[in-house]
Amino acid sequence: MLKTTYQYEQTAARLVVEGFPDLSAGHSSEAIGILSSWRLQLVGAPELEGTRDHLEALMTAVMPYARHRLSGVQRRFGQESGFVSIAPDQTNHRLELRSSREGVEPLQLKLDDAELADLVRCLDRLRLDSRVKLTWTFPAERPLKRQEIVDRVPLQKRLGPPLLAGVALACTIATAWLVPLPQETKETSQEPAPVDKPETQSDR
Amino acid sequence: MNEAPAPSAPTNGARLSRRGVERLDLLLLTIEALDLNGGEAMVWTSQQMGLQAQFPNRVELWKRRCHNPLRRTTRRDQLNPMDAESLIYLVCAMADRLYPMLHQLLSSREPEQLTQQRWQLFHERLRDLIEERMNQRREAVVRLLTMEPAGPLHRQLISTLAFCAGPGGIDRLRATLLDPTP
Repeated sequence: MLKTTYQYEQTAARLVVEGFPDLSAGHSSEAIGILSSWRLQLVGAPELEGTRDHLEALMTAVMPYARHRLSGVQRRFGQESGFVSIAPDQTNHRLELRSSREGVEPLQLKLDDAELADLVRCLDRLRLDSRVKLTWTFPAERPLKRQEIVDRVPLQKRLGPPLLAGVALACTIATAWLVPLPQETKETSQEPAPVDKPETQSDR
Repeated sequence: MNEAPAPSAPTNGARLSRRGVERLDLLLLTIEALDLNGGEAMVWTSQQMGLQAQFPNRVELWKRRCHNPLRRTTRRDQLNPMDAESLIYLVCAMADRLYPMLHQLLSSREPEQLTQQRWQLFHERLRDLIEERMNQRREAVVRLLTMEPAGPLHRQLISTLAFCAGPGGIDRLRATLLDPTP
């Protein structure tokens, strides 16, 4: 059985996947149903390679990270103990790869937005390639929850306006409390002037 | 290389919020700022994608974009979900076409002076387009006009286009446009 190789290139990234068709699932000779290895070349970084588990970990970390990045939410994706994690690093992105071999130090790659976009496009092409019959387990693209969107605004900025409003209200109430109310002044007038009553019939 | 086929015309869509329509139109405006002939290119690309039923000409495309409440001439009714989906497809296809330019703007490996000039040019074109098309009495438009070249808002627009370029970006862009308003 011949090994099939497909290559996905995008400016600064090149992803190469190799594998065999899964004949028991009725795949054609062109398809890849069993992934044997993959290699990723990023400009200015050492070549990465691994098994299907590593590629799946890369996709599970990078794709949701890019999705959240679009909504302005910047947080870490990928488990601390997993093969791959990605986190924001000032204006760049820090991709951390951990080997399954013991004693190998984790590899950290600093990617700018352009390099990350290249990587995302390569992964997009792989997952949408009809010849690669693999299923990927990263979450589907969905709108974020309101809490996630709200969390991107710093706490100070979020709580500032209501806090300021509360302080302003408290100050107004305190001022109103301290200012004495004007005293009611009773008019000390002399006896009331006699009122001319109109004569009625009973008076007569 | 025989990869995934180009996306065909959409068959269904989601109703975008007011904020979603604003963002979608701003992305189209960003595309026009990057490509001087962007308006014509959009019509041509939509025809290539089989969207001529939605956007047979520039006027129809403009009418759909007028659902953006920040526009000088705005339409009060809601954007049809099918039209919204077609606009999402169009943004992703145009971003794919302009990807080399987006890459140049975002890359830190390009010469710094050249990158600054590119951002400045983009900033000027986008500001002119916003002044020409948007209602400048709206606070959100004023905020757009006071953007700095290569500032966070500019970078967000360009990186959004870079991350949603191509067929793989359609789902991502739709999801982000459907985000709830904070």
